[in-house]
Amino acid sequence: MTCSEVERVLPEFLDRAPDDSFPDAVHQAEFETHVKSCLACADLVADLKLISSAARQMVESEEPAPRVWVRIAAELRAEGIIRDPVPTPARPALVPTAPRRRWSAVWLAPVAAALLAAGAYVVSHKPVAQVVTQQVSPVQVSPVQVAPLQEATPGGAASPVTGANVVTPAPETAHAQRSEARTNSVRPNPTKPANPEVAAAHAVAPSPSVEDQQFLSVVSTLAPSVRATYESQLQAVNADIRETQAYVNRNPRDADARQHLMDAYQEKALLYQIAMDRIQ
Amino acid sequence: MASLLKANLRQADRQTAVVTLVLATCLASAAFAETKAETRKEYRFTVGRNAIISVDTQFGAISVKPGSADEVVVVATLKSNNVEVDQEQTGNRVEIASHLLEGADQQAGRVDYELLIPPDATLNLHSSSGPLLAEHLQGDLTLEGADAVVNIRNVQNCHVHVRTMGGPITLTDVANGHIEVASISGDVRMKSVTGTLVQVVSGRGKIFYDGDFGSGGDYRFTTHTGDIEAIVPADVSADFRAHSVIGRVRHDFPLQPQHSRFPVEAGRSFLGTSGKASSKVVLRSFSGKIRLKQR
Repeated sequence: MTCSEVERVLPEFLDRAPDDSFPDAVHQAEFETHVKSCLACADLVADLKLISSAARQMVESEEPAPRVWVRIAAELRAEGIIRDPVPTPARPALVPTAPRRRWSAVWLAPVAAALLAAGAYVVSHKPVAQVVTQQVSPVQVSPVQVAPLQEATPGGAASPVTGANVVTPAPETAHAQRSEARTNSVRPNPTKPANPEVAAAHAVAPSPSVEDQQFLSVVSTLAPSVRATYESQLQAVNADIRETQAYVNRNPRDADARQHLMDAYQEKALLYQIAMDRIQ
Repeated sequence: MASLLKANLRQADRQTAVVTLVLATCLASAAFAETKAETRKEYRFTVGRNAIISVDTQFGAISVKPGSADEVVVVATLKSNNVEVDQEQTGNRVEIASHLLEGADQQAGRVDYELLIPPDATLNLHSSSGPLLAEHLQGDLTLEGADAVVNIRNVQNCHVHVRTMGGPITLTDVANGHIEVASISGDVRMKSVTGTLVQVVSGRGKIFYDGDFGSGGDYRFTTHTGDIEAIVPADVSADFRAHSVIGRVRHDFPLQPQHSRFPVEAGRSFLGTSGKASSKVVLRSFSGKIRLKQR
């Protein structure tokens, strides 16, 4: 079996359960023999297995039903950890020494950091994508195709055979893309992309990720007009991320686009930080 | 008949006058009550060199100008009794914060601040609604606000950090600064801004620069969907690199081509030198338009 043949059967190998075997035993033996003898293919398989399993865990751990978060928010309110926006009548010391309702915003700092880390991971995790793109014929995949393909492999690693590049999306992006595949509903979007090439990425607004639900839960305690501003900003930032991610998926070698993806994540982290400052 | 009609008209005039007088009295009383609710307070702090001054208000304007070298003067105008001002001094550090009380909203919780500070003081301002103004200062400045309009002018030899969510940012006559500006959707306008580092990032806002890019500085302007426009004089001395991933890029400026490892794609990027290339200018966007124009 050659390297290209290994690439062809790789999706089949990745999609099967750990205790499953190839339908064709000879095929499996050839595959395993080649992977043992070829360092490049062995690395590729190991990387993809790691990504696939990590992404599967991500799916399991990061997609509780929305009602779970609503219930948690209700319980936190009942326990007084999250409060409605009633300013304290008491006279405390200066704000920095006695921040009010800091509890409700505690999660924002790590989430902002996680966003940056996720962005950095997406931007910097280039080697795997490069290995695959060098070995795969450069078939262009439209953004509409990408989401279903990634849905087909729950790990978020699209099949190399299809021409889509192996990209491990950040949690938010992975969630967004999965949601895109699930929902066909089109919501109003605050931004209007100038270029029709990216209009598709803007057109579909997926349901919010876990982090975004937490963010929205916290800003829901603010005045309606302020809350609306934060919500629209979040939608717009997410649209930027989706748009850039879609482009990077199609053009994984575009270093500048990857940097813009990182910038978009930083934009989101900035939004979280500003919200945190607001509610402390 | 005519006299009866005239008498009735006079009576109507008198009634109108009385009603007007009563209404005017009510309005004056209301205005007086409103004025009474608005309170003006003044605080003075004696500080040494390199003082650190922080002002944090949820709602309201903050305006800062240079004053005495050893004193901080804060004038706070509280719009209602539902908000108060907390103030604290620890050594050279002065902290001022608005404290919202029960019933305070965007109107009632508003406190406007006017500060006179030592010109070399480090200044931290935070107001969600703004506006924020700092002028004629030489110390490091950090200004943050969600929707706050931010205006910085006539500052030099300092670090300037600005963050907003949607509030527009204007920098005018900033010399020899180390400037970092970030906004999610606010426009950023710079006129005569120079420094060793001028880094501006806006997601969907526009970036507009009018100046000569100084001498020996590093200028980096980045947007996602926002446009970038730079207007420079004919004798500007800089290396230019502009690139948009999917937006249009153009210049009507005579640039000398230069060798680079970056590929140049017509309509998407340009690369070139003007003068002695003493500064480096990098303009980047994802889908926003980029334009370099000669003044």
